[in-house]
Amino acid sequence: MIFNEIYSAYYNSVAKIINAVLDGSNDLQSMCKIVCENAFGESMLTVLPSLQNEKWQLIRQDMTTPIVRKPTMPITLVQKQWLKAISLDPRFKLFGTEIKGLEDVEPLFTSEDYFVYDRYSDGDPYSDEGYVERFRTILSAVNEKSPLKLQMLNRRGQTVSTYLMPQRLEYSEKDDKFRLISTGCRYAGTVNLARIITCEKCPSENFKPHRCVQPAKETVTLRITDERNTLERVMLHFAHFEKQAERIDEKQYTVKIRYNKTDETEMVIRILGFGPTVEVTEPQKFRNLIIDRLKRQKSCELF
Amino acid sequence: MSSYSELVKNFEKIRSYMREFYVYGFKSREEYNSKSARSYDNERRRTESWLGDYMGFSRTPEGKNVFISIDSRLSQHNPFYKALKAKSFTDGDITLHFILFDILYSPDVVFTLPQILEKIDGYLCGFKNPMVFDESTVRKKLKEYTQQGIIVSEKSGKKMLYRRAEDIDLPDITDALNFYSEIAPCGVIGSFLLDKQDNKNSCFYFKHHYITSAIDSNVTALLFSAMREKSVITVSNKGRGADDSTRLRIIPLRIFISVQNGRQHLLAYQPEAKAIKSFRIDYLSDVEILEPTPRFDELRSELDCMQEKMWGVTASGRGRVEERVEHIEFTVTAGDNEDYIFRRLEREKRIGQIEKIDCNTYRFTADLYDANEILPWIRTFICRIIDIHFSNTTIENRFKRDIEKMYSMYGIEEADL
Repeated sequence: MIFNEIYSAYYNSVAKIINAVLDGSNDLQSMCKIVCENAFGESMLTVLPSLQNEKWQLIRQDMTTPIVRKPTMPITLVQKQWLKAISLDPRFKLFGTEIKGLEDVEPLFTSEDYFVYDRYSDGDPYSDEGYVERFRTILSAVNEKSPLKLQMLNRRGQTVSTYLMPQRLEYSEKDDKFRLISTGCRYAGTVNLARIITCEKCPSENFKPHRCVQPAKETVTLRITDERNTLERVMLHFAHFEKQAERIDEKQYTVKIRYNKTDETEMVIRILGFGPTVEVTEPQKFRNLIIDRLKRQKSCELF
Repeated sequence: MSSYSELVKNFEKIRSYMREFYVYGFKSREEYNSKSARSYDNERRRTESWLGDYMGFSRTPEGKNVFISIDSRLSQHNPFYKALKAKSFTDGDITLHFILFDILYSPDVVFTLPQILEKIDGYLCGFKNPMVFDESTVRKKLKEYTQQGIIVSEKSGKKMLYRRAEDIDLPDITDALNFYSEIAPCGVIGSFLLDKQDNKNSCFYFKHHYITSAIDSNVTALLFSAMREKSVITVSNKGRGADDSTRLRIIPLRIFISVQNGRQHLLAYQPEAKAIKSFRIDYLSDVEILEPTPRFDELRSELDCMQEKMWGVTASGRGRVEERVEHIEFTVTAGDNEDYIFRRLEREKRIGQIEKIDCNTYRFTADLYDANEILPWIRTFICRIIDIHFSNTTIENRFKRDIEKMYSMYGIEEADL
């Protein structure tokens, strides 16, 4: 259904090569570039030789093609069904666009067919027209690299105004929230979109080019005792981080996880969730954060 | 002996290897004993070819280990989608594909099969050893494309006519595609659409982004199709630790997606067990859609009711009459400036109620099918739990034992307090 050659990197590369040939660019160097950009590490060993030796009869020896028009393929049924499905999602109207021609198409899925059961319930207000309008302004500013003037609520609930240079939008599936990553002023960094009250593009605002500062990274080392399927649960739970695992013995493993320093409290909470089958071994500073919580728990005299 | 290719015919072969490399990544070559050593070498080489930038190697006394390490917060596009763009094909497939769409270049251009065959010969005559496509091969390809909705066939008298399907007038939805290709089910389809565009630059990045489910997309898409048709399916299920799969006959009802543990489950009715059960989607393969069932709506409504008592993916598991529900309640304390604890409880609870006991104390209560599922969440409140009760005393004892073990693991003695 989805795993089909018509969507493959090879078909895409060949379509682009034919395009280039029809445009009069039939040198090997351009073709190699197309394959490198559109296919995989070893594709060069297959794609060009197959075209050159006429295994795939689409480019002749004289580097011309019998194909007359630039290759195109209509959108497939499953692509239409997927487009219809996303067009029914409440967040779709953030993008201010409408896809015509899907009226008779059944969606691949609807909100009845799947359920995200552990998403936090205080996600961004996608049905709020003001939020939608601000989202569109911000998205357009990110695309156009245009400075923004914002009024927003800070952590203490006070209204502050600022100019900043938007870099990108970050979406958290767990929080169901968008955040604006920005540079250029003291409020820059990460701004929750839901905290923004007003925003407008200010193309005339003169910002010195700032590089987006990558958050500091830290590493935490865990010792995992593989009981109650903990190993698999930990590895899947932390799968979205850069990490490396090693086996110590039949039942014990160590995993090193690299995380953003700003997410330390969240990491502490996530690790605590695994209970006694996961122990923080390094660094001591992180271990102390767990110890501190356990001591406070013990003083609660639960039992 | 067939030569190595970075493309694959059967995705199932590589699906489990990719998961092992990504999720675990500490097994040596010798431990992949379910397949031959050459099969391991080929799958490792393929994965490296697709995901070279993300592959790592480590040396251990047991040998060289391969792992995939991706900080998905730094990737705009799911790297695993590359694997789904590596389907193998024949020389004839690719040649025919481009020629057919060049012949049928517009929905207004209509030809019969003999006319198409004649035109194909015209395209190939300039080659040294022109390929020859027989009628049956081309008919089969046209039929395949008709099923995919990209070619339309229509009868005119005794003749079958073929034309290109009407395309939809897709507006510029690059931003939406960049977003949904990462967060929507079967997002790889959005990635296929993005491949048609020159500019794939995305302004979106993703936090808490689980990308492994990409390699289950084919199974997920078939499950969605089955639900749309309200049909019974048969599917192979290779449970955790099992060597062999079992073939199940089930009615798929809903896919449960976790954005906190990276797993996806199918909730389905299993007639044999007379119960709604959950199945890990990464363990499912070879979905076959069978006949529609009149029971679909009734069973889905039953699941809707059950969801009010499900913390995770465990459904009742029994008939409605014998339904067993467990009660759980715990109380947490918060400091004067810790209003966020109440907000945490409110936004993170999936079912149940929060009661404000006084300005510093909150109680959570819920009735659920499996109290085990809520334990990890309760543990995240360690340092402020002042009271806890489970109707299932075995689970309560385990919870308390676990806390004791943690005290001991981190060397916390009474004297420390």
